[in-house]
Amino acid sequence: MTLENCILLATLLFAIGVYGLLTRRQAVAMLLCVELMLNASNLVFVAFARHAGGPGQILAMFALAITVAEVAVGLAIVLLLYRRHGHTAVDAASEARE
Amino acid sequence: MPPWIQVFALELAVTATALVVLVCDALRPCRARTLAWFSVAALATALCTSFVVEPAGTAPHGVYAAGPWSLFFERLFLAAGILGVLGSLDWLESRVARRPAEYLFLMLMSLVGAMLLAGARDWVLLVVAFELMGIPLYVLAAYAKLDGPPGEPQLAAEAALKLYVTGAASTALTLFGLALVIGAGGSSSLAGLASPDVAPLASAGMLLVLAGFGFKLGAVPFHMWVPDTYQGAPTPFVAFLSVAPKAGGLVALVVVLLHGWPRHHELWAPALGVIAAASMVVGNLFALPQRDARRLLGYSGVAQMGYVLVAVCARSESGVAMALFFLVSYVFTNFGVFLVLHAAAENSGGHALDQITGLSRRSPWLGAALLLFVLSLAGIPFAVGFWAKLFVLLAAFEAGLVGLVVTGVVLSVVALFYYLSVARSTFMADGRSAEPVRAGLALRAAISLCLAAVLGLGLWPGPLLAQARLAAAAFGGGP
Repeated sequence: MTLENCILLATLLFAIGVYGLLTRRQAVAMLLCVELMLNASNLVFVAFARHAGGPGQILAMFALAITVAEVAVGLAIVLLLYRRHGHTAVDAASEARE
Repeated sequence: MPPWIQVFALELAVTATALVVLVCDALRPCRARTLAWFSVAALATALCTSFVVEPAGTAPHGVYAAGPWSLFFERLFLAAGILGVLGSLDWLESRVARRPAEYLFLMLMSLVGAMLLAGARDWVLLVVAFELMGIPLYVLAAYAKLDGPPGEPQLAAEAALKLYVTGAASTALTLFGLALVIGAGGSSSLAGLASPDVAPLASAGMLLVLAGFGFKLGAVPFHMWVPDTYQGAPTPFVAFLSVAPKAGGLVALVVVLLHGWPRHHELWAPALGVIAAASMVVGNLFALPQRDARRLLGYSGVAQMGYVLVAVCARSESGVAMALFFLVSYVFTNFGVFLVLHAAAENSGGHALDQITGLSRRSPWLGAALLLFVLSLAGIPFAVGFWAKLFVLLAAFEAGLVGLVVTGVVLSVVALFYYLSVARSTFMADGRSAEPVRAGLALRAAISLCLAAVLGLGLWPGPLLAQARLAAAAFGGGP
C-alpha cells in the first residue's frame, strides 16, 4: 500500500467520523465517531513512519494513550447522562436556554 | 536525580501536592477544608519560591525550555490555581463533602498540564500536556452530578457532555493535523517544519491544528460549548474553566504559531485574523440578549479571546507581550466576576440577571467588587482591563492591522451595553430579598485577591508590563 493510499484511507475514515459526529444524535454513536477520527490520525502517523521514517510510531503510542484516557472519561459522562435521563439521545437532554 | 529535573521543579511540586491530597484522603478521609487549605498553602509556597529560585535551562533533546517565558505562565497558572481552590472550598464543603479529594486532585493535575505548555518545545510534550490539562476538566464539569444550586435545572451531565464532545473532537482534529505536519517535517520537534514552502498536505494539517486549538480557546466558530457548559457546570469550577484552560490554549497557540511556524505566517495569519474578528463580533453581539449571567459571561469570554488573538495576529514581540498582559488581566477579572456571582447565587438561588438585583444593598462590598470587575472587562479607564485592551489594540495598530483595530474599538462600545446591564441590575433597588449575602472566608479571600489585582494593576500597570515584555523577549517573538 502506497503512502498516498494510506493517507486517502485515513482521510476517508476521518471524514466519516466528522460526518457521524455532526449527524448522529446518540451520545454513544458520537463517541464511536470521535474514536474513528482519533484512529484515523494514528493511521497517518504509522503510515508516515513506515514509508518515510521519523518518529511516527512513538507518536502513535502516545496518541493511543490519550485516546484511551479520553474515551474512559467519555463513557463515564454518557453513563451519567443515562442515569439522569434514562436514555442517551443528545437532543432530548438539551435543557440549557438558548 | 538528573540535574535537568530542576526545570520541572514547579510542575513536580504541584504534582506532589495533588498526590498527597489524593493519598491522604484515601488513607483516612479528610475534611474538604483541610485538603483545600493544604493545597492553597502548597501552591502559594511554590509561587513564592519561584520568585527566589528561578528554574532555567533545557530538558534533554530540547523538549522543554525553562526561562522567563515559561516562568511567567507558571506563575500565572499557580495564581489561577490558588484562586480556583479558594473559590471552590465552601462549595466543596457544603455540596460534595464526601468526595473533595478527587476534585482537588483533578484541578491540580489540570494545572500541571497548563503549566507545562509554555515551555514545551516538542509536539509529544505539548500534546500530552494539553490533554493533561483538558481531560480532568470533563470530569470536573460533571462533578456536581445531581446537586446543583437549588431551584435550577440540573444541567451538569449536559454541560459535561457538550464540553467533552467538542473537546474530544478538537483533540482528534489536532492529532490528525499533527500527523500530516510531522509526516511532512519528519521530526517531532516544534520547529521541525524548517522550509517556508510546504506540501499542500502539511498546510492542511497546520490549519487543522489551528482549528483544534480554537476549540479550547472557545474562539468562533468553535465556541458553541461555551455558554451551555458555563450554565450547567458548578460555578466555582466554571470560574477556573473560564480562565486557566483558555490561557493554556492561548499559550499553546502562541508557542506553535510563533515558535514552530513563524515562517509559514502567510498560511495561518489570515485564518487567525478571521477567527479573531469573528470572535469579537459574535461574542459581543450574542452576549447582548442573554438573561443568565453565566451565559452572558460565556459570550463575553468568547469576545475577550478575540481581543487577545488580535495581539497574536500582530506577530511581533510587543504583540506577544501585550497578549500576556491581557491574559493576566483577564484571569483576575473573570475569576472575580464568577466568584462574586457564585456567592450571590448561593444565597439567592439562581444565576439569572434579575436574581442579582439589589446586590449592592444586600452586600455593598460584593456589589462594589462586581461593579469594578465588570467595568474592567468593559475596559473603563483605571481598571486593569482598560490597559489590557488599549495595549492589545496599540500593538495591532503598530503591526498595521487597522481593520482588526477598528472592529475591536467599535465592538468594545457594543460591549458596554451588556456589561453595564450587569452593573445596573446590581444597583437596582427592588431586589427580591434584603438579606445580606453570606460568603465563606475562603471565597471572600479569593474575591479580595482578585479585587486587589484588578485595582493594583489598573493603577500601576508598569511592573506587570515590564515582566510581560521580559517574558516576550525571552520567547523571541515573531520571525
